[in-house]
Amino acid sequence: MSVDTGWYGSDRSQRMARERVQARWQDAYAPARHLDPILVVTALLLTGIGLAMIYSATSFRLELNNTDVMFYVRKQLVALAIGVVAMVVMAVMDYRWARTYSPLIYVMTLVLLVVVLSPLGTNVNGSQRWINLGGFNLQPSEVGKLAIIVTLAALLHEQKGEPRFPIVVAAVALVVVPMGLVFLEPDLGTSIVFVWLTFVLMLVGGVKGRYLLGLAAAGVVATVTAFRLDFIEGYQVERLTAFLDAGNSELAQTSAFHTQQSLIAIGSGQFVGKGYLQGTQNTLSYVPENHTDFIFTIVGEEFGFVGAVVVLSLFCVLIWRGLRIAILAKDLFGTLVAAGVVGLLALQVFVNVGMTIGIMPVTGIALPLVSYGGTSLIIWFALIGLLLNIHMRRFT
Amino acid sequence: MLTVIVTVLLVALFSRLWFLQVLAGDRYAELAQSNAVRVVLTEAPRGDILARDGQELVKNRVAHTISADRTRLLNAIGEPRDETAEAVLARLVDLLEIDQEELVRRMTSVRYSPFRPTPIAIDVAPEVVFAVSEHAELFPGVVAERLPVRTYPQGDLAAHLIGHVAEIDADELEDPFFADLGYRGGDLIGKAGLERTYEEWLHGTEGLRQLEVNASGTVLDLLLEREPIPGADLVTTLDLDLQAEVERILEEGILASRNEIHVSSGRSLASTGGAVVVLDPNNGEVLAMASYPTFDPREYVGGLSEEYARYLYPQEGDPDTHAPAINRAIASAQPPGSTWKIVSGLAALQTGQITPQSTVPCPATWGWGKNNWNVRNEGSMDLATALMRSCDTFFYELSFNQWLVENRADDAGEEPVEVYQDLARAMGFDEPLGIDVPGERGGTVPGRDWKLDYWERTKDDTCARAETAAEGTYARQLYSELCNEGFVWRGGDAVNMSIGQGDVQTTPLQIASAYATVANGGTVWWPHLGQQLVDSDGDVVLEIEPRVLNQIEAPAEHWAELRQGLEDVVMGARGTAISPFAGFPLDQIPVAGKTGTAEAGSTQVPYSWFAAYAPADDPQYVVVSLVEEGGGGSQTSAPIVRRVLEAAFGLPVQPYAAGPGNVLD
Repeated sequence: MSVDTGWYGSDRSQRMARERVQARWQDAYAPARHLDPILVVTALLLTGIGLAMIYSATSFRLELNNTDVMFYVRKQLVALAIGVVAMVVMAVMDYRWARTYSPLIYVMTLVLLVVVLSPLGTNVNGSQRWINLGGFNLQPSEVGKLAIIVTLAALLHEQKGEPRFPIVVAAVALVVVPMGLVFLEPDLGTSIVFVWLTFVLMLVGGVKGRYLLGLAAAGVVATVTAFRLDFIEGYQVERLTAFLDAGNSELAQTSAFHTQQSLIAIGSGQFVGKGYLQGTQNTLSYVPENHTDFIFTIVGEEFGFVGAVVVLSLFCVLIWRGLRIAILAKDLFGTLVAAGVVGLLALQVFVNVGMTIGIMPVTGIALPLVSYGGTSLIIWFALIGLLLNIHMRRFT
Repeated sequence: MLTVIVTVLLVALFSRLWFLQVLAGDRYAELAQSNAVRVVLTEAPRGDILARDGQELVKNRVAHTISADRTRLLNAIGEPRDETAEAVLARLVDLLEIDQEELVRRMTSVRYSPFRPTPIAIDVAPEVVFAVSEHAELFPGVVAERLPVRTYPQGDLAAHLIGHVAEIDADELEDPFFADLGYRGGDLIGKAGLERTYEEWLHGTEGLRQLEVNASGTVLDLLLEREPIPGADLVTTLDLDLQAEVERILEEGILASRNEIHVSSGRSLASTGGAVVVLDPNNGEVLAMASYPTFDPREYVGGLSEEYARYLYPQEGDPDTHAPAINRAIASAQPPGSTWKIVSGLAALQTGQITPQSTVPCPATWGWGKNNWNVRNEGSMDLATALMRSCDTFFYELSFNQWLVENRADDAGEEPVEVYQDLARAMGFDEPLGIDVPGERGGTVPGRDWKLDYWERTKDDTCARAETAAEGTYARQLYSELCNEGFVWRGGDAVNMSIGQGDVQTTPLQIASAYATVANGGTVWWPHLGQQLVDSDGDVVLEIEPRVLNQIEAPAEHWAELRQGLEDVVMGARGTAISPFAGFPLDQIPVAGKTGTAEAGSTQVPYSWFAAYAPADDPQYVVVSLVEEGGGGSQTSAPIVRRVLEAAFGLPVQPYAAGPGNVLD
């Protein structure tokens, strides 16, 4: 045995050994070592599938017009590049930074949502949803989803899992403002997503069941009132209810027609599909918007049940990784943000796919990572980055 | 908690996908197919119908047609789609001079495919075509087209034989004949006559174009193209010139006969209708066949007008047009009168009761008050003479004796052999001969079985009448007898039948066939109008061979005896048809024939029959004429047959002159 001649650690060799252990531990806990490759690869796979589907959906039409058949694919690739950068940025800086700056994020989002309603916004098909930033259309309502998650997570984090009633009221108030703005665009689908996100975050944030039920009741009353007072435009009502009688031929060329053609596309894919670029519903343009909201019809038609299951399974992997991150997160804020992201993902997948297979109303909700649309793709990679961030820093 | 919700949502998606793609996938695959592929059909030109020398009886003509695209002009419930469509419809109403209701009715006719313009006016004036084609901007969705329609170069000639073409109806669609050949609603089919019989060949195969169409209706690709295959042409056995003459002679004879008097009743002849059949006795070819009154097949092109439909099929209160649509030559089954005596004569020879040399008395009255047509006793005679004189009592005697023989067999518990009836059936009576024109009737050959069957069908009625008729009246006695014993084949039935009266009924075609059998010495040929079917390249696709339906075995001397009798009718010293043939070159073209004067109830003027073949020594033509309510056989029908033979042999056809009214057989 050696004789201890000095203060603890005065021996250099001991100190060095200690530091080595410490460094190994530090190394082991270093954020960069705790990336989630499964999450990233799955997201990239889905985006890749999306690119192939976008090509299938658009190339025939573009060829018919003698334009560049890669037009949409190219734009989506650019968005992917930006998205990957956004993911890296979101992963690198500590997510708790977002907690600090959540009021700023919230206010900036409100500004964007107001700007989009002003003449600066771009009106497409009667909806004022985009801000043109020189060749790139920013969709503030997409940013709004991120803002809602961060803001509510920051608010509930402070309550340490036992939010009191005034906080619940404050949370609802925080959501209602951007939701109202989105609703005015109008973008009914995203407004509903906001409601869902509020519900998910409150559930995970420990809001008491009776408050949640009360909120749900209030939501129902608000919805009914909106219908009654004609706040919701006729076409929105029609779109929301048309899926209930998709087989009705009188409604041809309307939203029921969209749903019917979508059902035909997916149904006719049968078990293994018709083959890439072989779907007649797709190539003959029977399914409208099949590069954006109805992109799942191409998966269903050209790759059949097998393809649909593969795509949905990849989403399951994302959800599984996301839930795992929510559980492993170091603090409640991380858990809340991760749960919010997972909730958003699950809702969008369900509403979008449900819409194409006739079990959900037609709303303008895209399929995350797969649908064509730059803002959505970038935001989704940013959210993936956020998940990575929470995952990486679960020890620090 | 969140995991549970997410799992539930995903299970919902998977199960719905499983239902859509795996369970209901077939149905959706079909829907996708019908979305993307449009089928456009091109009608095949129908085959022509030609006379034996190749002259056209029916062919196709190109008609200027105005057609409209219903999907561009009308919505699903037949209202104008929009204001433009409304304006176009208004212009069409003015241009075509029809009302808008009618216009919409034509446009929505199920007869035409919705994927090609619907013909709304066939056979329009050239000005209308110009109006539409030069002002296309005023008529979006309307086109001037040229469509094939049926045309009749010979006018109404052989109308009953040709038949007509019209849209297939619901019953026909279910008919296995049409169903198996893949006919669809809206197809034009032969409805009657040769058009119907040879439908399968005349129709051709429609052309087909499968187009790939996108959601906006743009044609992207031609997936499949099949040229229409024109229908085959039907070459008939008809001699067109003879047919024309026969129709003319029949009409002339019938019209002229209406000025004649029926001697025994003193009334003028009604001559409501008639028919002539000309057969080749050596192969069963129909050389000419006419029925009067007739109709114009051109009226069927583009649909019958109401007026013409009421002429063809009069309704309550309309004047009686005497059923012009009926082809009397094959569909009018009437008592054959004395023309039947060739059957009775040959049967009598077959029973062995007489030989060609035997003689039988021909009294003025026979048995229990049945009279000969002639009031004088003509003494005993052989069969040939009995035919020449058309002696009824001769045949009464023989048929009654045969009836006794049959009854004895019946009483002895044996199956009676009905020689007369069996021979008649062997010669083609009692059933249709199967001529290749629809609508043929089989007539009736009465006998014991027939009587029993008839009694069973009618006894309820006769017994009821017997009950209600007043006591002691003749009617009560008659109906009681019919009610109680109406199934008995009586001697009176047998003797009536022997002279072609009573319940026996035959068509002119059957009589013609029977005389052909006598003329050719025993062969019953299948009567037919179709000769061959020739496709558009001139290749024969179907040769319609003459068929022997039956062969009547009889000694040559029996045939000789019959033929002698028939020759004597026309050429013998006391024949019943001498005077109608006065002036006919019988020395060059000997004619054999037989008159028939069929009683058809006590109130009607008799039906006039004449059956003949010529030349008698080498028969080339069998000619039969029937004029309903036309009086004596030699009075109306024999003069018609004479003129038909003149036409057939290229002799100058004499103007019509009625024969004697006093020869009532």
